[in-house]
Amino acid sequence: MNVYLRLVYRNLRANLDKISLFFELIFPLFFVFVQGYALNGIVPPFELGNGVVISYSLFLAAGAVTLTVINAGTNAGTQLWYDRKNGMFEQILMGPFTRAQYILSIIIATLVIGIGGSLLVFLLAFPVLGASISPTIQGAALFVLALILGTMFFGAFAIALSVGLKSSETFQIVSTFAFFVFLFTSTVFFPATKAPPAIETVSLLNPLTYVTDIFRAGLFNAATPLVSLELGVLVVEAAVMFVIAVLAFRRIRV
Amino acid sequence: MTTSEYVIDVKDLTKRFGEKMAVENVTFNTKRSEVFGFLGPNGAGKTTTIKMLTTLLPPTSGTASVLGFDLKTQGRKIRERIGVVQQQDSFDQGLNVETSMEVYGLIWDVPKKLRRDRIDELIERFGMHDFRKLATLDLSAGQRRRLQVAREFIHDMDLLFLDEPTVGLDPIVRRNVLDYIKDKVKDGLTIFFTTHILEEAEYLCDRIAVINQGRIIQIDTPGNLKRRFGSAKAVEFNLQEESPPGFVENISSQESISSLTYDKSTKTYRTTTSRPELVIPEIYRIADRFRLTISSIFIAQATLEDAFINMVTEDDKETKGRETG
Repeated sequence: MNVYLRLVYRNLRANLDKISLFFELIFPLFFVFVQGYALNGIVPPFELGNGVVISYSLFLAAGAVTLTVINAGTNAGTQLWYDRKNGMFEQILMGPFTRAQYILSIIIATLVIGIGGSLLVFLLAFPVLGASISPTIQGAALFVLALILGTMFFGAFAIALSVGLKSSETFQIVSTFAFFVFLFTSTVFFPATKAPPAIETVSLLNPLTYVTDIFRAGLFNAATPLVSLELGVLVVEAAVMFVIAVLAFRRIRV
Repeated sequence: MTTSEYVIDVKDLTKRFGEKMAVENVTFNTKRSEVFGFLGPNGAGKTTTIKMLTTLLPPTSGTASVLGFDLKTQGRKIRERIGVVQQQDSFDQGLNVETSMEVYGLIWDVPKKLRRDRIDELIERFGMHDFRKLATLDLSAGQRRRLQVAREFIHDMDLLFLDEPTVGLDPIVRRNVLDYIKDKVKDGLTIFFTTHILEEAEYLCDRIAVINQGRIIQIDTPGNLKRRFGSAKAVEFNLQEESPPGFVENISSQESISSLTYDKSTKTYRTTTSRPELVIPEIYRIADRFRLTISSIFIAQATLEDAFINMVTEDDKETKGRETG
């Protein structure tokens, strides 16, 4: 069996807490069905781009799908923390694996969780909301790419954070704080253009903004020329964060 | 494995962490099917040496080949053919004993049928039947250690590094583990073994290197080490009375005494020394000064532990002497 398949299988079996995964899934659905329904009556439908008009609950549901990307990313840091805490990090590196294979296996496991979780939230939320969605092949490629790049960014971010922090407790607290910063300065809950200028500026730096915007554009066939630019920014952000994570990872002392 | 006379061949291997010299110009070799012991006090450089030989840490200088492969350039090839039981715990926390062995075998790419057979055999040999379905997080330290050692035998290897593998094991399990290791050595496995339990080293090792402050101070067979550094160099004595304050300190401060221990159960004092002929009159003199009566005194048969203490203490004294000029 391929070395990556073996390591990814191990990461998914050994380091994933099923209860945490369940709640990570519940969390976005909570936004979709509670906040989405609650605000749908007071927020009028608005144009997404390309002449596409959608309700607030659909707007939020798409945002909630991309939320799983952050959750999956946090998992990458947790996997590394567990391995370091339990001595499996050294054990694996003394086996027939390279550091690159190990870190990539965490990223791939994170992608599996991210894409799988997104798909599950999507399948649970959209039929209930009664949405009829028929994305084009180009649109589908866009939203899949957004999810992959987003998971890569947040996975790499969590790995870098996990290397830099001295205890798993600190990692949990800091990653939760970072989670909320990313969440509330992104376009998951509201369009950035309708936010105060300061928040709008911050949201332009936030990769979750681009993940969410590209995902919505792909899903609702609302892609404008701006989406290409957003995709470019997201690729750069994901690549830079990946390099930072690899550099941080190489600094881990054994 | 390439054709090389030695399984491990190390020349002047050195590891420095900033200003601190962890391992200094270490040179040794091990042959196929040999159990090579690495003994030393805490912080002597045993684990650092293992980390270098398993390619986890790059050496600062020196050369080494493991299984005929160069340590610096062929790390991957080395790691494919070695097993390592680390000093620290290592376990997958989300799995039970059996599943964790299964997953460990899988990442080593052991075929499924062989994996199953070996897991069953190891669970039997290491007495893990009662807790095979228990989560690794719920195991006692000794059970977890047993799992860690057993797990390493799931995959094939030519060389196994065991870094204090029996810590936390009860005597019966410990003997069981050592006997299993001996069986594997008969099948051709080479073992690099560190321990603090010197009886273990004596029981298992063909040769022993004693390392102190990062330097190897002796390499020989356990028997020869005992003869050279421990033979007739342990003096045991008993007092009729309880010893008053200052007595032990007075005995210990004698230059010719390497160490002094007291066994409460037998009320026996034991000194290790290279000069028993000087130590015995000194003990009488000091006892007399404290108005104590020595009820028995004799030169005891030295153990490997005596030899070890002598070697390390004498090396420490020499180092201190060199440093103070």
